[in-house]
Amino acid sequence: MRLHLACLLLGALAAPATAEPVVYTLDPTHSFVTFELMHFGTSTIRGRFSPVNGSVTLDRAAGRGSADLALDTASVSTGLRAFDARIRERDLLASEAFPQASFVAERFRFDGDRLAEVRGEFTLRGVSRPLSLFARHFACERRASLQREVCGGDFEAEIQRSVFGASFGLPFVGDRVRLLVQVEGIRQ
Amino acid sequence: MRRRSGPPVKLRIEGGSSSRRPGTIAEAHRSGARPVRATLSTIIVALAVCAAARAEPQSYAIDPTHTFVTFETAHFGTSTSRGRFERMQGSVQFDRAGKAGRVEISIATASVSTGVPALDSRLRGPEFFDSTAYPSATFIAEGFTFVGDTVTEVAGHLTLLGKTLPLTLKAKNFNCYLSPLLLRETCGGDFEATLQRSRWGMAFGTDIGAPDSVRLLVQVEAIRQ
Repeated sequence: MRLHLACLLLGALAAPATAEPVVYTLDPTHSFVTFELMHFGTSTIRGRFSPVNGSVTLDRAAGRGSADLALDTASVSTGLRAFDARIRERDLLASEAFPQASFVAERFRFDGDRLAEVRGEFTLRGVSRPLSLFARHFACERRASLQREVCGGDFEAEIQRSVFGASFGLPFVGDRVRLLVQVEGIRQ
Repeated sequence: MRRRSGPPVKLRIEGGSSSRRPGTIAEAHRSGARPVRATLSTIIVALAVCAAARAEPQSYAIDPTHTFVTFETAHFGTSTSRGRFERMQGSVQFDRAGKAGRVEISIATASVSTGVPALDSRLRGPEFFDSTAYPSATFIAEGFTFVGDTVTEVAGHLTLLGKTLPLTLKAKNFNCYLSPLLLRETCGGDFEATLQRSRWGMAFGTDIGAPDSVRLLVQVEAIRQ
């Protein structure tokens, strides 16, 4: 009996280590990009987009992964419709010409079992640049309500909007934009 | 010869003989054929009066386009969920020289916005903000702490669900600037606090592991009246 239990425990420990890539589809209720930038060096303007679409593949045992994510730039939401309309214009997000921003990544860095950094290519206004998302939190757990495993966390990155041609309001509204990414993926 | 580039800078400093704008101090003095020196002394006196006035509390109106309360809560120990309130109003009395102030902000609880409409409805409901019974949450504070010229902390009381408890906001940024659009002084910053929502009676879910702790991130700017 004791041996049987030990085998069960061993089996449970070994199970997550099977080197199978697992696909997770983003949960639209817990996958948002929020941005922050300074207004006149005084206070922080915040906004968000409608949920990020896409999927992430994780192979935690092998320490690999890939992500293919996109969001609709026209969905920008600051809490002020007039601001949102202004941000969609050509000298900022240019939403009509470039309806989507994307992040495609294949370089996943793990600290043990924990995802630490995702390096990929970020495209905004048709301009693509390398970008690293750094994990502030990362965890996987079985979610009883879904009867599925959920992996997710909080990621951060910083861009200079002028690099992507979104230059209106400089320098009164800051060039540095901090991206705060909440993401949860449901195992498929 | 220096070439001017960009739009003309509208600095409202009057008194130069080239000023053609009617209704200015310079124009008034020109009409009286007074020497420029008198104009300058008038400006100096005016500046001195202004400086003296700065020792008095000044009134500022909250700029609703740059004043938002964002909140953050942990979701299952996995990620951070965020929401904000979109409608608020209020006023600030601020005495930088006297290192004192008073702020009163009223937040429309029904303006909660998370990006998930079904969640917003739930948050407006009786389990959370109960917006029908309690349409507003208020923060009233008179405990301004300064380091030098800068506000570092604002201690006051938050009224939520009809219950009033102390809350201190810590400044992460604080600054005053002359708004080039409004030509008025604007003061503001970023403030943060973490509260336990159950203390205000918003305990839904805390017994089954939903987080009690809520981090508030407050962007505020106020325009001198």
